[in-house]
Amino acid sequence: MYSEELSEQIAAPRPVPVARTIAATVATFIVPGLGHVLLGKMIRGAIIGGVIILMFALGFAMEGHLYKPDPNEWLTWFFSFLDAGMGLPYLILVLADWGVQITPDQAAKVTFEYGNTFLCVAGALNMLAAMDAYDIGIGRKA
Amino acid sequence: MTHFIALVLFSLLVSVAFAALSSEHHTTQERVKYGAKVLGYFVGVGFLIAWALYFLPI
Repeated sequence: MYSEELSEQIAAPRPVPVARTIAATVATFIVPGLGHVLLGKMIRGAIIGGVIILMFALGFAMEGHLYKPDPNEWLTWFFSFLDAGMGLPYLILVLADWGVQITPDQAAKVTFEYGNTFLCVAGALNMLAAMDAYDIGIGRKA
Repeated sequence: MTHFIALVLFSLLVSVAFAALSSEHHTTQERVKYGAKVLGYFVGVGFLIAWALYFLPI
């Protein structure tokens, strides 16, 4: 019984300083996976970052586009929220107006909607990654 | 790129992310099993929906 309790204590995750937790959470929105790397979770950070960046790149390769909120179309707010989960890359691309405008040829492509889905899901996964980094930081998760 | 390749690519990437982010699976073996299960569900359900839509007059 004693050894079980001891092993549970050893296995229990330890919280890191608040500043580092915040830095890790914010870092995820700068480069996907960076937050985990800052918390010492190198492999997990590399896997999560690699998957999210690949998904984002594939979204553009499939001729998808990024959404910007349009007051006349409420659904664009939802998709923009998902896209914005990418953080800094989304902000830079939207401000530079790269990958936001749609051409008729692009919209006619078979992969157009797949591309949009890949971009939205990449953003959503990055938000999950940020929450995961936060949970690791506060010691809720190993 | 075919619809199927896009479906498999999407399923693969999301299942890897889910496995890495899971809070209920701690060891690498558990995560790999969970990722494979999620991948199977994604592809399987995708097939079911595709066949269901095939028979609908749309």
